[in-house]
Amino acid sequence: MKKKIWFILIVIVVIIQFIPTGRPDAVNNNPNDVLINNPVPDSVASLLTTTCYDCHSNETYYPWYSYVAPVSWLVARDVKEGRKHVNFSEWESLYKMKKAEILDDLVDEVSDGGMPMLIYPLMHPEAKLTKADRQMIVDWAEGFGESLFE
Amino acid sequence: MKNLILIITLSTSGFLFVNFNIADGKGPASKEEMIEIPDDVQAVIDNSCYGCHNSDSRNDKAKKKLSFDKLSKLKTYKVVGKLTDIQEIIMEGEMPPKKFVKKYPDHALSDDGKDLLLGWAKKSANKIAGE
Repeated sequence: MKKKIWFILIVIVVIIQFIPTGRPDAVNNNPNDVLINNPVPDSVASLLTTTCYDCHSNETYYPWYSYVAPVSWLVARDVKEGRKHVNFSEWESLYKMKKAEILDDLVDEVSDGGMPMLIYPLMHPEAKLTKADRQMIVDWAEGFGESLFE
Repeated sequence: MKNLILIITLSTSGFLFVNFNIADGKGPASKEEMIEIPDDVQAVIDNSCYGCHNSDSRNDKAKKKLSFDKLSKLKTYKVVGKLTDIQEIIMEGEMPPKKFVKKYPDHALSDDGKDLLLGWAKKSANKIAGE
């Protein structure tokens, strides 16, 4: 009986591997990227790349487990959603108003700990932001936001 | 000689232009003036938004995201950002929240109300962004 349950479970796990995840492609050459087109300090750029870019850019790095269902479904969903809201790889193609909206949101989310999502630093310990890190990102975003309207 | 006339003409017209602006009595409009809320829009906001989006709101999330009391006191990019967000959220029908409208149907946003709000947000954002 126990053997049978294990067998069924394994069969299910194998079968779900064939369900397409719709995982967005990773693209590494993005001419409209915010970091290459604007004077972003290296320290901030590195924080953004390690803590935001997996979901909020086209430069997603997919770890091995993101190829294994059912985790792959969650990863695919988060990346899709993340890019839909904010995609730093497409920055230069956005209207000024939309850029302002994103930076306003970014400041709110990063300052009160809403982003990165809780699960992200659990899987990526290097993406844990200290209070000082958060302040650094917020300060940059505020200055960058104001520079759009000078 | 021609040059001299040109210089005199240019400087005179420049002088007139500057004077005209001073005589007009208006410096660049302040943020308060640019996002001034007309009465009809204010009525829509009071009925459908202000209950949560004010500085004394008990709904912390709503208050943090947007407070109509503080809107004109924020940095320029934030004002433009929030006015842009308002437009997106109204167009997508995300606000007021469905649960809230179900409980208080009187506070739903009518089509006319939506148009008023959208028009105001768009106009104000454009003015502040200088476009």
